[in-house]
Amino acid sequence: PGTTGELEDPPGLYEKVEYLLSEWVRHFHQPGLLRDGDKIYAAYVARLQQQGILKNDDLIQRFFRISMEMCVELCYRTLNDPVNGGMSRPKCYHTMDAFVKLVVVLVRYSGESSNTLAKVNLLNKVLLTVTQVLLADHEKRQVEFHQLPYHRFFIMILNDLCSPDPVFDAINFPVLQCFCTAYHMVRPSKAPGFAYTWLELISHRVFVSKLLLQTPQQKGWPLFHQLLIDVFKFLSPFLRNAELVKPTQTLYKGTLRVLLVLLHDFPEFLCDYHFSFCDVIPPNCIQMRNLILSAFPRNMRLPDPFTPNLKVELLPDIQNAPRILPAYIQLIIPDLKKNLDNYIKTRAPVTFLQELRGHLQISSEPGKQYNSSLINALVLYVGTQAIAFIHSKSGTPSPTTIAHTAHMDIFQHLVVDLDTEGRYLFLNAIANQLRYPNSHTHFFSCALLSLFAETNHEAIQEQITRVLLERLIVNRPHPWGLLITFIDLIKNPTYNFWKHDFVHCAPEIERLFESVAKSCMQKQPT
Amino acid sequence: GVAPLGPISLGQDKVYQLRMLESAYKHMPEPSDSEKVRPYLQRTPYPTPPYHPQHSPSHMDSYDFYQRLSIETLFFIFYYMEGTKAQYMAAKALKKLSWRFHTKYMTWFQRLEEPNTITDDYEMGTYIYFDYEKWAQRKKDGFTFEYRYLEDRDLP
Repeated sequence: PGTTGELEDPPGLYEKVEYLLSEWVRHFHQPGLLRDGDKIYAAYVARLQQQGILKNDDLIQRFFRISMEMCVELCYRTLNDPVNGGMSRPKCYHTMDAFVKLVVVLVRYSGESSNTLAKVNLLNKVLLTVTQVLLADHEKRQVEFHQLPYHRFFIMILNDLCSPDPVFDAINFPVLQCFCTAYHMVRPSKAPGFAYTWLELISHRVFVSKLLLQTPQQKGWPLFHQLLIDVFKFLSPFLRNAELVKPTQTLYKGTLRVLLVLLHDFPEFLCDYHFSFCDVIPPNCIQMRNLILSAFPRNMRLPDPFTPNLKVELLPDIQNAPRILPAYIQLIIPDLKKNLDNYIKTRAPVTFLQELRGHLQISSEPGKQYNSSLINALVLYVGTQAIAFIHSKSGTPSPTTIAHTAHMDIFQHLVVDLDTEGRYLFLNAIANQLRYPNSHTHFFSCALLSLFAETNHEAIQEQITRVLLERLIVNRPHPWGLLITFIDLIKNPTYNFWKHDFVHCAPEIERLFESVAKSCMQKQPT
Repeated sequence: GVAPLGPISLGQDKVYQLRMLESAYKHMPEPSDSEKVRPYLQRTPYPTPPYHPQHSPSHMDSYDFYQRLSIETLFFIFYYMEGTKAQYMAAKALKKLSWRFHTKYMTWFQRLEEPNTITDDYEMGTYIYFDYEKWAQRKKDGFTFEYRYLEDRDLP
């Protein structure tokens, strides 16, 4: 089948479609549709057949493309017509709803009643055609582009296909797949003029509950993960620069709301994909990342981090590894991976450590010197290997058991060898693992504190403190593991925390530490 | 600072994205865009003063709440909010008050007294009904309520 729009339409097709479509819109709005719907639909499908529209895939696709373009044109005329007053939106709904019903009817009646493949294929074709119309319209009209007709199309068709109906119930998951593919194709970076509607579509209650709750075996999770990655990636450069104009702020706020709903209703989803999300969210988006890192499985009870003498190593959950989706190890370049594994096994050669920084560095431009994805993957991989190693010696991670291992060699080396920018990314990669009670949280908490204790460089200790503190001075929520680690740092005399110069470098910093300490401990530090 | 890694210069594509986002901001999607058409009670957003309730009470979607509403209100919801959960709740509350829906006249009836005749197919007697055109309750003597027009589904 030819790509839509590439070849010219056969002569007379446009007029035919125009006629058939207006006939349908009349049918759709006539009274009695509710009662005699099936009869009217069957008659109309027969009419399309007789007009030769359903002869082959190419014609069907052209029919949908031309119809959609006509509906969109009509919406533009209505919306841009000053005479309409308050009635322009309902007029657009009138047309779009009729077209949506036509699609739903054709999908429902395509193929034999049990032929689910035919129905899904047709739906897929329609959705792809509409995304092409959208992208072309976006390209053509630029700042005059209007989201409304596409919004109405996607949301109404989804609502219809998700309402209880034995035919549609059977194809629920493939239908959702079609929508996810279509949404991904018109993601904000491809169609920024559609971004607000897009966020509404992907966070719509029906869509989210179908994908995350009602699809068995969590098959919808990777699909939804992709869409969230799409919006994070789009926002990332603007958020990173922290120069937010009103339109970006609004999209950012909307995204935060979606995350808040997910944190409340589907915390396990955020838990499983935290690594991947943190990989695309810029380091300065502290609250957004805290929302993700604060998620914990609903059946878990977290001990109050402020409990005096809380023994983290005695918590049973500390033994269990969290689930990390999707596989992150691929992010480590195969060559590097081989040498890394070799170093972990033999603790040699020393040249491996010396060359490591070169692998992580990708340019000399300040602000983007490092491959932060690689740093994140490396840190997590080394950590999980360390945990496996300690478990194999039947120990649990503690400041003593993690010391003097190949794994800590790597971390110790990096924290000294990297410059401020690299170290910031590296320490952030560690802090991203400080979440609910699990083996990763425990290991990385020990590792970060031991990095603090084992160095003579005040600058490194200052940076570790900075990474922890900046995640705590923002509004709630705060990840459990982050609080545990920070409280240990300021309470445990081993770290001599209050003796360091950076704690007293400026009166407002000193006051800040005191207020954080006050909220973390019952007693004032002396 | 808030941009710890320092600002990066936004490329041509990002500048374009920002421009398109700004133009989209001028015509944001509205709540009605993702809802079924409301033929009678369209949404008309308006900035209401902050001392006025901005949200409906939290228990407003419960059956208990509908049972406390006046008959008039229930009829209003039934006729003007078609195809919504509110209509369903109103119908349920009306049934609880012994109102019966006549599917031919699309009208709610209530027995005023015990029917004179009751057979397997109909009952006959004096009823009050709600006239949705004149918007008032009226009395009807000697009315035959055929059971085939009785809407008698149990609403869960």
